[in-house]
Amino acid sequence: MRRAASALLILTLTAGPARAWRLWGEPSDKKIRPVQELSDARRPAEVVAALTPQFIQTLRGTDLRQAYILMGDNLDRLSRPDEALAYYQLGAGLFPKNVDLLTRLGSILHRSGLDERAKTAFLTALRFEPRHWGAHLGLAEISAALGFPDRAAEHYEIALETISERADVWSDYAAVLLASGETKTAELSLGRALALEPRDPAAMVLMAFVLRARGDHAGAILRLDAALAHGGGAGARRAKALWLLEAGRDAEADAEAVKVLASAPDDAAALWVRARAHLAAGHAIKAYDDLTRAAREDANLSFSARAARTLRARLKDLEDRRFAQSHRP
Amino acid sequence: MTCRPLLGLVIALAAPAAAAPDLSADALLRDHLWREVRLAAPARRPKVGLVLSAGSLRGVAHVGVIKVLTDAGFPVDVVAGTSIGAVIGSLYAGGLPPQRLWNIASTVNIGSGSDLSSRSFIALLLYDRLLSSENTERLVNKELGGMRFDQTKKPFACVAMDVYTGEAIIFRDGELAPAVRASMNLPGIFRPLEYRHRYLVDGGVVDYIPVDAARLLGAVWTLASVTENDFTAARPKNVLDSLEQVIDIRGSYLSRDQRKQADFLIEPPVGDIGIFDAKRVPEALEKGVIAASKRVLAAKESLILASLPLLAGDWVAPETPW
Repeated sequence: MRRAASALLILTLTAGPARAWRLWGEPSDKKIRPVQELSDARRPAEVVAALTPQFIQTLRGTDLRQAYILMGDNLDRLSRPDEALAYYQLGAGLFPKNVDLLTRLGSILHRSGLDERAKTAFLTALRFEPRHWGAHLGLAEISAALGFPDRAAEHYEIALETISERADVWSDYAAVLLASGETKTAELSLGRALALEPRDPAAMVLMAFVLRARGDHAGAILRLDAALAHGGGAGARRAKALWLLEAGRDAEADAEAVKVLASAPDDAAALWVRARAHLAAGHAIKAYDDLTRAAREDANLSFSARAARTLRARLKDLEDRRFAQSHRP
Repeated sequence: MTCRPLLGLVIALAAPAAAAPDLSADALLRDHLWREVRLAAPARRPKVGLVLSAGSLRGVAHVGVIKVLTDAGFPVDVVAGTSIGAVIGSLYAGGLPPQRLWNIASTVNIGSGSDLSSRSFIALLLYDRLLSSENTERLVNKELGGMRFDQTKKPFACVAMDVYTGEAIIFRDGELAPAVRASMNLPGIFRPLEYRHRYLVDGGVVDYIPVDAARLLGAVWTLASVTENDFTAARPKNVLDSLEQVIDIRGSYLSRDQRKQADFLIEPPVGDIGIFDAKRVPEALEKGVIAASKRVLAAKESLILASLPLLAGDWVAPETPW
């Protein structure tokens, strides 16, 4: 009897679609399409206003699934991630095999620091679509954040099979390769990123780090120069000053530190570079003064301040010893 | 309609890209000084001791800690361990790479260290016939080929306790494998080991975090990986559980003072993993990596600050006028 009823239902669904959809909701996206267009036009407040609970209650199937996605995406755009998370969770509860909802859920959980739950969402998505690039990208970020760069690299590799045109992902892949000590592959990966976006200063800076890790200090500094030429900012100049110091090019390091200090007079790293250059030149008092500025008595928790204080104390100790030695009868 | 374009948006909005290096003054200065520490001659930085605590199967988390330290290029000059820390420490000091340690730890079970079988387990519960810990000795010998203390790649020491005298015995010479076996010879479960005229049981009873052993090897700056039990969460259900609980409580009291002796602590959150909880070994390994990854930058900073007074000797021109 039950089998007959079930057969009848299937027959009804296949033979009479119009009547069937009254039962199960429309498979099309007709109702949601205008809201989708608002979302595509980047009008998140209007999307959220349009998708009222009453309206959502009228939706079925594809429309309903897309409504949850649109609500989540646009609430997130409005910097309301907690509400976005709630919609993704509701959607994933109703459509547990939908990889788009699962991936979005994983992504927002990851951003909220709930990596264990995010990992579960991404892994569930991969059960239904094993090479889903979004899920692999999410798992790559989680693996990297938790301290597993080798696992992250594997996920990036799978994601990049699909999204090989994404320069930022090639850069992220390079970063985990660098963390794993695979500097040659990291260089190749950054080569791909820079081929896609030749003027990206962030990729140039990362390439500089890779070259430095490979022992090519001169090449690394040249890359920092290139990044600076493309708007690399104070960070790149700060790095250049420190790396010139590492290369024993004290005068150039000092000059670069002076440039940093011109725009940020209390920059601890630049003050450190200048203090080291003063020390190498035998100007201990000047070095002491720069370290005192870097030590910033009011901000004793920063590493730079603690380092400056430690070196300053050591200089004081050396001074005291020399004074004691010179006055020894 | 497709969701794919939006997915790209969501991913692009996700956490800041890992690719962007931190270019803040703190991060760059730390990176620069870390390079100085790594390249410094041994006399220009403190001798670094890695200390691996007791903690039974929880202690496999030490392998995760070692992996992270190795990937970060952390200099380790000497190694000291107690109990499971002695097993892992000896293999690491003997020259096994972290990946090999990981593979060994992944296959570990309580039988890896003992002659545990159903028959011997029943005998343990019914009679005074404790298990033998000889499998530990076999494992160390198999992996390191009968190495002696003076043949390890890094100086190594491990701790056991003499049950006749209550003394902590720090082994740092002679054969490696029997000393390691003695160090993880859990009292009440394994038979005390008669070795070098002593009657030895697990060193965790007297020296849970063997910072003193590392100092004996010359360590000036010590990093301790501690896999202490959260005994407040456990409710003993049988004799073995009760024994485990007592050992863990004792270990916790000991480590309360000993942890203060270390210069830096990494504490993988494995407190809820029991002595015989072999099923959770993979979890313990991962927790070791995660805990160490969270702390490795702070560990670098601590070692840099300890090294600065020594490094400064190279930076000051000899005839600097004041």
